[in-house]
Amino acid sequence: MSFDVSQVKRDFPIFQREIHGKRLVFLDSAASAQKPQPVIDALVRVYSQSYANVHRGIYTLAEEATAEYEQAREKVARFINASANEIVNVRNTTEGLNLLAYSWGEANIEAGDRIVVTEMEHHANLVPWQQLALRKHAELAFIPVTDEGELDLAALPPLLADGKAKLVACTMASNVLGTITPIKDVVRIAREAGAVTVVDAAQAAPHIAIDVKEIGADFLAFSGHKMCSPNVGILWGRHEMLESLPPFLFGGDMIRSVRKYDSCWNDVPYKFEAGTPSIAEAIALGAAVDYLTALGMDAIHEHEVQLVQYTMEQLADIPEVHILGPSAERRGGVVSFWMDCAHPHDIASILDEEGVCVRAGHHCAQPLHTRFGVQATARASFYVYNDEADVDALVAALRRVVKLLKR
Amino acid sequence: MNGDLYREQLLDHYHNPENFGVLEDPDIDITQENATCGDTIHLTAKLDDEGRISKVMFEGHGCVVSTASASMFTTEVLGKTPAEIEAMQLPDIQQMLGGVTLSMGRVKCAMLPLEAMKKGLQKLAKSA
Repeated sequence: MSFDVSQVKRDFPIFQREIHGKRLVFLDSAASAQKPQPVIDALVRVYSQSYANVHRGIYTLAEEATAEYEQAREKVARFINASANEIVNVRNTTEGLNLLAYSWGEANIEAGDRIVVTEMEHHANLVPWQQLALRKHAELAFIPVTDEGELDLAALPPLLADGKAKLVACTMASNVLGTITPIKDVVRIAREAGAVTVVDAAQAAPHIAIDVKEIGADFLAFSGHKMCSPNVGILWGRHEMLESLPPFLFGGDMIRSVRKYDSCWNDVPYKFEAGTPSIAEAIALGAAVDYLTALGMDAIHEHEVQLVQYTMEQLADIPEVHILGPSAERRGGVVSFWMDCAHPHDIASILDEEGVCVRAGHHCAQPLHTRFGVQATARASFYVYNDEADVDALVAALRRVVKLLKR
Repeated sequence: MNGDLYREQLLDHYHNPENFGVLEDPDIDITQENATCGDTIHLTAKLDDEGRISKVMFEGHGCVVSTASASMFTTEVLGKTPAEIEAMQLPDIQQMLGGVTLSMGRVKCAMLPLEAMKKGLQKLAKSA
């Protein structure tokens, strides 16, 4: 199973442009991915042919828009082996997780309860729970990360043993280390102890096949913009869990009926989609799901493992480069590193002059950087359109960093 | 384009920064963080009898831009009054760095020492 990367690259019009007269080498897809022509076409088609507000319109255009919006929801549901009524359209992963922290958290967390997260969380799956714990005088506990950049799973059962842990929130893939976590084990151990489980799949959904039934969690969130779509987020929840949650945002579309002094809520998932949603964006996410499915999620993962393997081999020849995280076969398409002779900002600036886009900073994971004793790192992340020539450009540019800044 | 950021002059300041360290009994003692990368600068300064900056030192590990900016800043501001420093803006810092044009992402690195100094002076004015 594989695909022709040069053909895939041609599907993304952005690669026709140059940066500072150099070929664009885009290695920042973990932050946000580029968009293929079929997704751009879907957006343009909606706006030029089928756009109207969704639900309740009794005219052809509104019915077309509603049908397409709901078909996209069904595509997303199939993509993660869920039912369409378990798919909530939100703004992004962050909003999905905040929805849970407010809706589920306010109703279920009390003083003395424990919320368990991991040391490798993106701030989006840390700060909402941290602030919930502070509001409720609950305890926040962390599954530690080993020196190899893996979750120390043995530390989880003791955090659950006294029955105080009500929630375990865990990433499926680290946006810094690249580590793919043993999410099924985390969920199984947590659920055996009676804890509700939340999975941050922002770095997983674009890169590896997701089957929510196999994972077994209660909730899972991801972002369309990291998987070739415009910016729309998805919150999946087991139907009975979504049913049991109070609404988070109030307004139009989320109600069944409104009287002057009280209201009834619409069914899930609409109960959580107050106000006009991002209609064209959600429809284009359906096109992105089609695009990725045609390439094959297993083939995408395999492609990225090979690229990461090649990158780590090449970088091993530059002694000033130090890579964080596990070996290639245990990670997604992310390689974060630091250099003896150069600050990550300087690395990113010098690489930019060569047309190579990498991210520099703490990548919204400050506690993880503290864990490894570094302020910041540079991060190269790969996707369907990257090839070995991109890695070669990265390596050549890093040699230039050494030449410029090493004394 | 950041090409001119990596000229010898700035690299010299990066590798051998001036006034690197901490002043004893400073009038200003302030730590400022760059939110994008977590870098911090620790700035200490003394004022003379007329209230003008007479000595500045800094410490902290940063990028070429923030380190060179801090190094040059420690001499650039000598003799200036708090009001003169308050009036300094990005163009002044770009000029100080040798007339570079900073890309949006690097402005915060270059402005870190000035922002720290402004904050320190505001703190000093409040405590006076």
